[in-house]
Amino acid sequence: MTAVISTNEVCRYFGDEEETMVKAVDRVSIEIERGEFTAIVGPSGSGKTTLLHLIGGLDNPTSGSVELSGTNIAEMSGAILSDFRRDHIGFIFQSYNLIPVFSAEENIEYIMLLQGVEASERKRRVAEMLEQVGLEGLGSRRPNKLSGGQQQRVAIARAMVSHPEIILADEPTANLDSKTGIALLDLMKELNEKHNMTFVFSTHDDKIMTRAGRLIHMMDGEIESDEVK
Amino acid sequence: MLTLKLAFRNLFRNIRRTILTVMLISLSLAALIAVDGIMRGMLTLMVENVTSTIFGEAQIHRVGFRENMDVDIYLENSNELEQTLQQDASLESYTPRVMSGAMISSSYNVSAGLLYGVDADRERTISKLAQAVVRGEYLSGADSELLIGHTMADLLEVDLGDRIVLTLSEAGSGELAQALYRISGIVDFGMRELDDNFVFVNISSARQTLGMSDQQTHEFVLKFVNSEDAENPDLSIFQQLNDEEVEALGWLELNEQLGLIIELSSFTSLIVGLILFFLASLGVINSMFMSIYERIYEFGVIKAIGTRPAAISLLILFEALLIALISSILGIILGYLLGLYTSNYGIGMGEMEFSGIAINNNIFSEFHISQFTQFPVYVVLLTIVAAIYPARFAAKIIPSDALQRSL
Repeated sequence: MTAVISTNEVCRYFGDEEETMVKAVDRVSIEIERGEFTAIVGPSGSGKTTLLHLIGGLDNPTSGSVELSGTNIAEMSGAILSDFRRDHIGFIFQSYNLIPVFSAEENIEYIMLLQGVEASERKRRVAEMLEQVGLEGLGSRRPNKLSGGQQQRVAIARAMVSHPEIILADEPTANLDSKTGIALLDLMKELNEKHNMTFVFSTHDDKIMTRAGRLIHMMDGEIESDEVK
Repeated sequence: MLTLKLAFRNLFRNIRRTILTVMLISLSLAALIAVDGIMRGMLTLMVENVTSTIFGEAQIHRVGFRENMDVDIYLENSNELEQTLQQDASLESYTPRVMSGAMISSSYNVSAGLLYGVDADRERTISKLAQAVVRGEYLSGADSELLIGHTMADLLEVDLGDRIVLTLSEAGSGELAQALYRISGIVDFGMRELDDNFVFVNISSARQTLGMSDQQTHEFVLKFVNSEDAENPDLSIFQQLNDEEVEALGWLELNEQLGLIIELSSFTSLIVGLILFFLASLGVINSMFMSIYERIYEFGVIKAIGTRPAAISLLILFEALLIALISSILGIILGYLLGLYTSNYGIGMGEMEFSGIAINNNIFSEFHISQFTQFPVYVVLLTIVAAIYPARFAAKIIPSDALQRSL
């Protein structure tokens, strides 16, 4: 199988002084295959979110490389990196982070507008995604008229609508109640299997850990264990 | 289109801040329109006071007369000159004058002053001498009539019907001459210079006293059909008359001080505008930064999902543009209403003099097309310029920093 995500001795250090330097991610090398449902787990401060940001091109590594589908994104910057993220990576954040002045439909459509997808195709894909995440009929609502679970469903739809190769989710169930969190995880697992998309979570949620196909344990910026179920 | 839609909706996210920013910019624009209107009104009043009170829109003299008003430096053959003036279509009217420094004596006091010999009928079409008569009668053409400024009358302790003796030197011979007049009218121009120093008599009488013939004149005062012509030194009448002997000059060249005041007032409007918009720009920058910091996590997210830095800059600039457009419309309306009020009711200035020029009427604001075209364009451009710094800041937001900062 081909690795869609590959990090090689990637490091992210904060601070310049040797004594005060924080090694958020330290010489991490991992490979994640297409279609994997992977969870990066560990306590707060272990470096899982930083690693996720490095994989997503949201942050630049201090050293090492991050390759997505064979492209080293650590060497990209500006508009090129923005375009790469737009076309290859879907993000789901802990706090949903929808654009509050856009409706659910417009939030999902936004990324396709950036990609220049035609209006009819956008409309079709928005309707399809709303159906897949179980929000038919709620597309015209703005985020403040949706529950937390519904907002996270919109965020999942937004992340998936552009058909990215990778979905990166930073503690996606942290702000949800247990029942809603489980429902969303089942939905993501279903979409993962249906579309063969690669999902990578950062979490310390047991529900995700039990559903993940692979668990990467981090501690103090380093990989403690890498367990494939 | 997407960015514009997002920018428009973002204006309503914090409606109070948007309103305050719009008010700041629109009130600055309204104030600028009002200040410019008042400055224009004040200048018009000053120019009117200078040109229509006594000095006229243009004057013709023999070269050298204006330097010390020497009675010997007069225009010969004024009939020939009058024929030229009569044929010029740009002129509405003109009048001849003779003038001389004089010692003005009453039974009680004596004062130095200036004698103006005027053609009573034609003077009405040029100056406000007839309107300035506050007591007694205007000149009828009789030899001994004299009009005197009210403050000079007070100084000389004279009133209507009282005798005044003018002592002056004759043109040509330089011999001292005296003439007796009776006060037929008291004038009040509201300009200290005129009311303190000037006496007016009929031109025929003045010529007689000065020993001048009917063909000899010190000054012709002109009024144009289009008063703006007086400011144009290339006008044919000026070109035609000006030579080595004769000088024909518009009010702007005759009164250089007023020209400087006009330049100064334009500069004042510019300075007021710059100060107002500098302050408004600080307000815009502050408002934009508050808005960016409030949404920093959101900027992190939209950048993370693939929005280019340039598109984020454009979003901020569009927000500024929309604020500027709304502010301009509101500022134009407020400025127009303010201008309408001051153009109808005026601003009372009492009786004041500015650089020797009397402002003794209300100043009425004047509208000008530039106030509603140029000024709003400046507002829009300056607001956008003020938003460039916040826009660049927003574009440089690093997604991972933004996402962590708000967590």
